[in-house]
Amino acid sequence: MKGGFSPFPLGLIPVIICTQEESRVLRLMAFQPISGITSDPGSGVFPSLIYVQGNEQRSIVMNRTPFSVGRKVDKDLVIPDPRVSRDHALIVAENGDFFVVDQGSKHGTYVNGERVQRQRLQRNDRVEFGVRDVAYVIFSPQHATSNTAREFLSQISGIQISTDTTDLEKLTLFLEAARKLNTVGVLDEILVTLVDTTLKLTRAERGYVFLKDEEGNLRLAAGRNSKGEALLDDKTISHSILDEAMKSNSEFLFTDTSQSLDLAVRQSIVAYDLRTVICLPLRKPQVQTFRDASNPAEAEVMGALYLDSRFASRDISSVSHDILRVIATDTASLIENARLVQAEEASRRYQQELAIAASIQQRLMAVTIPEVPFARMRGRNLSCKEIGGDFFDVVHTEDGLAVVLADVSGKGVSAAVLASTLQGMVYAHLIARMKLTDIMASVNRFFTQKHLGEKYATVIITRIRKDGELEYVNCGHVPPLLVSQGSVMRPQHGNLPVGLLADATYEGDRVQMKPGDRFILVTDGVTEAENAAGDFYDNERLEEIAAKSPTLEDIFASVSTFCAGAPLGDDCTVVELEYTG
Amino acid sequence: MTLKMDTLLADGVTIVACTGRIVFGEEASGLRESLKKLLETTKRIVLNLSGVTYIDSGGLGTLVGVYSSARAQGADIKLTGLGQRLRDVLAITKLATVFEVYDTEQEAIAAFKGSRS
Repeated sequence: MKGGFSPFPLGLIPVIICTQEESRVLRLMAFQPISGITSDPGSGVFPSLIYVQGNEQRSIVMNRTPFSVGRKVDKDLVIPDPRVSRDHALIVAENGDFFVVDQGSKHGTYVNGERVQRQRLQRNDRVEFGVRDVAYVIFSPQHATSNTAREFLSQISGIQISTDTTDLEKLTLFLEAARKLNTVGVLDEILVTLVDTTLKLTRAERGYVFLKDEEGNLRLAAGRNSKGEALLDDKTISHSILDEAMKSNSEFLFTDTSQSLDLAVRQSIVAYDLRTVICLPLRKPQVQTFRDASNPAEAEVMGALYLDSRFASRDISSVSHDILRVIATDTASLIENARLVQAEEASRRYQQELAIAASIQQRLMAVTIPEVPFARMRGRNLSCKEIGGDFFDVVHTEDGLAVVLADVSGKGVSAAVLASTLQGMVYAHLIARMKLTDIMASVNRFFTQKHLGEKYATVIITRIRKDGELEYVNCGHVPPLLVSQGSVMRPQHGNLPVGLLADATYEGDRVQMKPGDRFILVTDGVTEAENAAGDFYDNERLEEIAAKSPTLEDIFASVSTFCAGAPLGDDCTVVELEYTG
Repeated sequence: MTLKMDTLLADGVTIVACTGRIVFGEEASGLRESLKKLLETTKRIVLNLSGVTYIDSGGLGTLVGVYSSARAQGADIKLTGLGQRLRDVLAITKLATVFEVYDTEQEAIAAFKGSRS
């Protein structure tokens, strides 16, 4: 997951917009916003809005207050409708709440259908500005996934199996259920619920989960107090204890001011008025059989669970060590599972991207055969893999009907990328009515200058004129077949493939076609189609069927009969150009 | 890996006898790396392909690539022991005009002596 974990699930962020007076209060409480999270829509300090207009909707992060709405173009939200006043309304923040304030608009401001002057906004409120129904704003909507996941989790954590169920059993139950959750973005929800449950179990005042990011730095992933309120990173968290816990070999670190001898630790505890700190390093779960219980430090540390209480509040020094041990190991495996789910999601998206690329490739390779009065063209490709290196294309210009057939070395995505580039170049050059030999020289120059690592292509390009004169340039391809009145000739003229040698030169040849003559181009996948005995289909069989049958289907049928079920080792492409006169 | 390479020095010429298939993947990269390494110490290589049963398009690309870089550093690779199929492929791709191909190892070695390169 790029950029580490979102530190808070949507909507659980304490709002830190305040007057100077409030700011002083907040500073006393020592809340510190984490830098870098405000730009993340949905998880930042500001709430998001969903603006719905007709069938379209977009998400807007309120990145400032007052947030202005109106018809004027300098508004934060511009609604271009005559029923919306120029300065229609403002959304302002006060004491951590958000209010919508009408600015004396002509058609009014509505919250959930009621006209208001000033109204505190709540999650999912529908706000309308003058124009009703056509355009409106949903305030701080709940994320659909988060919603379901959170509801589900709260159901589990609130469940009462029987009166005998201990908190520990409940936690285990919760962890079990959470593991089965397969929802994206569920990690944040799991962490929050986990901290809440842990606070309940340990009776600690505050709880935080820190996770290591890609650089190995600890980042706050969730923070809650015993009242169930979200907490941001805080200077009163003893980072010296956190660091020590990460380095230590023990299962957890338990620090009491009366016991600690370490001066630095003592100082930070005393400075922040903390009574007890419990810090549990979260280690990557290992396969049971390889696990050496006596040396848990060998497992990779992925983060820490930090719990504390201040002098002024309850004492958590009596928390059972068993409970802590269970929490530490189960939290680790829970996070690991959630991360696996996220990795799976990332890989699923990657697969989707590939599928999109494949479909673009297919559309690029799709050929629309132009209708020309003097010639008929047919082509067929049989790919052995999903994305192959064979392609053909056809372009009609005033010079005649041009056909290109290419076979890029290698297979898969790399071959497809090269095939697309080659196809684009040839197409553009043909449209520009360049000489066929110049086209090939240009492509060769491009490919050899780009150092594509031994990638090259065999290409045959041909153009037939109205009068039946056919020019071809063969660059490393199987010789074409010229079928004339039942006999087959193989025009032998050829050149080096393109992309192999920078100083290669290209020459063409011409043949005169008579009405009914066919010029057939094939890739070596056809002639080198192998049967189970290891024999090649080869040129003789190809020539025989080409002389006998006028359809491409018969050629493919003949290859398929020959192979008798042996899988194709390479793409097979056949293109036929018939001169009709 | 289905390609085996045996190296032997004769009259100041390094003879590399290949057995197996030269195909895209570890076979082609294996051949490329071996020849690159040899080219650090010798300028005269004869590639005996009599034990090679199959070369695919990727393998052919590797052969040309290694040949080009050898020529660029003043070295030469000559071919011998080509089967009919490889001769056909070299003929179709016109690579027969690029490589120097000899019927026997002796002829290839003699060609190096004659050229004094």
